[in-house]
Amino acid sequence: MRTITITPLKAFEISVEAEIISPDKFAPLSLSQIRSLSIWQGNRKRKLSDLFRAEGDDGPAKVEDVTITLQGDFSRAKRIAEGMTAGKVEAEGGVGMHAGNNMKGGLLSVQKDAEDWLGREMRGGKITVRGNAGNYLGAGYRGEKCGMRGGEIEVGGNAGAYLGEHLCGGSIRVHGDAGDFPGAANQGGTIFIGGSTYLPGAEMTKGTITVRGRARVLPSYQKMEIMSIEGEDFQKYVGDLVEKGTGELFVRVGSS
Amino acid sequence: MIIKGGIVYDPANGIFGEEMDLCVDEGRMAEDGKGEVIDARGLLVMPGGVDAHSHIAGTKVNTGRIMRPDDARLGIEPRSGVCRPCTGYTVPNCYAIGYRYARMGYTTAFEAATPIIEARHTHEELEEIPILDKGALTLFGTNWEVMECVRDKDIGKLAAYVAWGLRSARGYGVKIVNPGGGEAWGFGSNVKGPNDPVPNFDVTGAEIICGLAQANEMLRLPHSIHLHFNNLGKPGNYTTALETLELLKDIKPSRMRQVVHVAHMQFSAYGGTSWRDFESKAPVIADYFNSHNHATMDLGQLLFGSATTMTADAPLEYGNARLTHNKWSNHDIELEESSGVVPMVYFRKMLVNAVQWAIGLELALLTRDPWKVLMTTDHPNGSPFINYPEVITLLMSKPKRDAEMATLHEQLPKRTSLGGIERELDWTEIAIMTRAAPARILGLEDKGHFGPGADADISIYDLRPEEVDPSRDHALVKKALAAAKYTIKSGIVVSQKGQILAAPPGRTLR
Ligand SMILES: [Zn+2]
Repeated sequence: MRTITITPLKAFEISVEAEIISPDKFAPLSLSQIRSLSIWQGNRKRKLSDLFRAEGDDGPAKVEDVTITLQGDFSRAKRIAEGMTAGKVEAEGGVGMHAGNNMKGGLLSVQKDAEDWLGREMRGGKITVRGNAGNYLGAGYRGEKCGMRGGEIEVGGNAGAYLGEHLCGGSIRVHGDAGDFPGAANQGGTIFIGGSTYLPGAEMTKGTITVRGRARVLPSYQKMEIMSIEGEDFQKYVGDLVEKGTGELFVRVGSS
Repeated sequence: MIIKGGIVYDPANGIFGEEMDLCVDEGRMAEDGKGEVIDARGLLVMPGGVDAHSHIAGTKVNTGRIMRPDDARLGIEPRSGVCRPCTGYTVPNCYAIGYRYARMGYTTAFEAATPIIEARHTHEELEEIPILDKGALTLFGTNWEVMECVRDKDIGKLAAYVAWGLRSARGYGVKIVNPGGGEAWGFGSNVKGPNDPVPNFDVTGAEIICGLAQANEMLRLPHSIHLHFNNLGKPGNYTTALETLELLKDIKPSRMRQVVHVAHMQFSAYGGTSWRDFESKAPVIADYFNSHNHATMDLGQLLFGSATTMTADAPLEYGNARLTHNKWSNHDIELEESSGVVPMVYFRKMLVNAVQWAIGLELALLTRDPWKVLMTTDHPNGSPFINYPEVITLLMSKPKRDAEMATLHEQLPKRTSLGGIERELDWTEIAIMTRAAPARILGLEDKGHFGPGADADISIYDLRPEEVDPSRDHALVKKALAAAKYTIKSGIVVSQKGQILAAPPGRTLR
């Protein structure tokens, strides 16, 4: 095992493009090489050590043996763990926008909140968030036809709007409430929302959305039978008929 | 400037791989030169590439950019040196278009379709494309004035209108797209072939094409009419292609060139009655070109991967959007033309796409005279222009084609003759299809050759034609073509080993 701890030297006013903070990038490098990696802040190119302290185990290691611990406030550090394939990134606080985007394997765990676009276009691996997640959790970025395609995201708190937009696979579990339009244009992923939400599954063609709290359902969904899931009754709907969809939406009975 | 010891391919001047020095003086080819000496000993030297059919500027190109922020992300290059920031893969921004063509050794590119009323937009963008010399073809195929002149059989008046249109739009030549179809599309329908009447106008596509061809020759324009057939992109449309070409065979050209240039022939060489029994009719089309001299074509080669279809054939794009369930822009419908944009992905495992891929290659390999065939991808319809090295190496290497076919749908050999074609193009033929022929077909006297006074647009590749066997070493050739060792534009080294060194503005030809 190789553990590397990264700490911001001060609060960032201008956000940092932190895609190099990833086990894949750090694994083959020594600590001093990591410190001299270049990193963009706004339109300025800087060295990692200009902005962060990097401590921990030296020397190269296999990607799967690398754990990166993030101490302090990373809410303005974007794209942490972008495209990571293995290993762990453990944030003791929150993380900035686009964390875990395009992730293919490994674990990203966040103790506080994650900003918008967490795990967008993710393909594999796991992301856990103790606090809340922002908008577009697991979604596809602007113009993209496919959001998350595989892997797992679990959020302990609430999620923002457009959760899992253009989802093509994988599963997202939010224990709290979700904002408007979760699972919009879902093409085959699975979403579970523990709390309430508004207009789930607009333009969904395939996949499953389960809402345990209240949900306003679109008129383009067909009401089906009542089903029992883990001992609770859920109203099943099929849609979105606007897209000739066969997606399944379950909303707990009695919660509306 | 003197370029020493290169193996020069200048087919327009009868030079087929001879070791010789080239001299440049004040941006033009000269008998002797002084100053900078470029060592090109043993290396492949050709005139700068000329792309006669590409979609690089104008409203539909920009609509493609607006629709595809996902595509913008695929080609991000930060500002560096003389280069401004670049974005995009199938729909690159203006700067990226200039730099990427130049890196491959191309120095001239033509935008293939501009409505008169949107011409200002096209020229705003052309002006922002660095390095390249550029031009734009102006759309005339469904203009009301054109159709009225054709109906009245007044070719003199039609020629006057065309002259006015070209001057007003600063256009280079006459483009015709799905004649009559654009007008019909304004009412939600299409024409099914050149003999269908255009709604509200007592004319047919065939009459429009012939009228514009006669007007084009009356004006002695440098380029012939540039034609996108009716029924493009539909199974069985090769008959439309042949029928339309037959209409034009008796028209006398006013210059030493073709009477009609056919745009992206690949999309009009389709057999079958539906996508299920879809097959290549490239051999029939190639036979026609082999036995007739009034027509030339560009390939519109399709490659697997991402593309963005964009054309003034709006009903075609409606069909594409219905077929793929993808994003669709219906554009220019308020004008005398129309257009559409739909993002597209071509899949190896999809038989239809594999057949389309094969058709382009068949056309290039079965048409005997390389002066009749231009290598294009109809950027970005078949593939972005950045993939030209892939097309060239496919044409030069039978083993590469065989290896590629082995990865494609098992039905493919039944639908195309490509597997049985042994021909491998040589450097002379490639120099013709990418340099000399597009310049001649467009009527650009100063492009595509090294004669004294020609524009000093030169590409030098890190390839030794006397040592490298493109059939076997296709990977090496592809790599070398992707980044010229030197690209020289008007006597200035603009790119070296893929790095842009200078970004002069380039001219717009009109
Ligand atoms: Zn075109």
